[in-house]
Amino acid sequence: MTGQTDGWGQLLAAANAGDARAYARFLQAITPILRGVVRAKGGGLGAAACEDVLQEVLLAVHLKRHTWAPDAPVRPWLYAITRYKVVDAFRARGRKVDLPIEDFADVLAADAGPDPTEAADMEKMIGMLDGRSAEIVRKIGLEGVGVAETGRALAMSEGAVRVALHRALKTLAVLRERHVK
Amino acid sequence: MKTDDLIRVLAEDPVRPMAPRTVLVLGLVPSLAIIAFAVWLVLGFRPDLAISMTTPVSVARILLAGTLGLVATRLALTLARPEGSGKVRLWPLAVVAAAALGLLLWAYVTTPAEARQMAMFGKTFVFCLVVIPLLSILPVSSMFAVLRRGATTAPARAGFVAGLAGSGFATAVYALYCTQDNPLFYVTWFGLAILGVSLFSAMIAPRVLHW
Repeated sequence: MTGQTDGWGQLLAAANAGDARAYARFLQAITPILRGVVRAKGGGLGAAACEDVLQEVLLAVHLKRHTWAPDAPVRPWLYAITRYKVVDAFRARGRKVDLPIEDFADVLAADAGPDPTEAADMEKMIGMLDGRSAEIVRKIGLEGVGVAETGRALAMSEGAVRVALHRALKTLAVLRERHVK
Repeated sequence: MKTDDLIRVLAEDPVRPMAPRTVLVLGLVPSLAIIAFAVWLVLGFRPDLAISMTTPVSVARILLAGTLGLVATRLALTLARPEGSGKVRLWPLAVVAAAALGLLLWAYVTTPAEARQMAMFGKTFVFCLVVIPLLSILPVSSMFAVLRRGATTAPARAGFVAGLAGSGFATAVYALYCTQDNPLFYVTWFGLAILGVSLFSAMIAPRVLHW
């Protein structure tokens, strides 16, 4: 295996060891590539729907990140998840797409653009969470506050916020599965 | 919610689920212990267990079924990974199957023609076809639990090897009770039971293992 010039392996390894900053950087690094894949396949659906699919893929990467073996290259792993989820997400939206089996061969990385699209689905799903979970997700996502501060604001321990957040993300994945169809 | 906001949320969630390997050990080992205990309690081990363990043709049952279990478990762990469907090589299963069929052929040749039918059907083949699938429920379920923690992109294949793994181990346990030592009997009926469980697992897998 040739070395990974993009450093995704180091970032993901650090992330899986608990480094939240490395993890954020990893997600930020892969997002334009994943967006490129999604747009190349589903441009006709419109930018907002593509962003929905992208977020679905990111959520899947997040919930399955422990399936990456630290001695394996990141790209084939990431591509396999992306392929599975993109096909699945488009099928749920009544579209059949084929992704080649190879790696991210000629993907054009796509930036969100100057005015990042507001994806609609995720907001809808967050609305279906119980009130407290929705509040945690919104506080961290929209206000950009950390877990500790969220805990203080909601009179919860940091650990309780973490557990609630993790549950909320798993629930979001299930909700999306159920409601997009 | 914008994608950048989502990334912020994801990065704040450091809870990492157990790796599939850990789930495997935590699930499979106890479930095998439980079915071994159940066989001992309800059916009882064969009275000549110690002697049978020194009889090659009898030990071969446990070795074959156990090897199938181990080989299939390895394959299931590969298939539990998203990129595993492109990497998995199923030929080790063919080696195990070939060994079993070779044994069957050997037994066919060495068993006198008039004794073959009796040797093949024994008196207990229906019992064996019922009990092995029952004993397989727990181990196959724990294999499915492993696969659900993973992220398989080849659910039917993953379900099939999960079925082979669980029912292979279950059959090895069942062999502690069963006194049929002729390969004409055990390759046929153990084999059919294992195949049945595995095909059923492959059938339900796409629904169960979807993520």
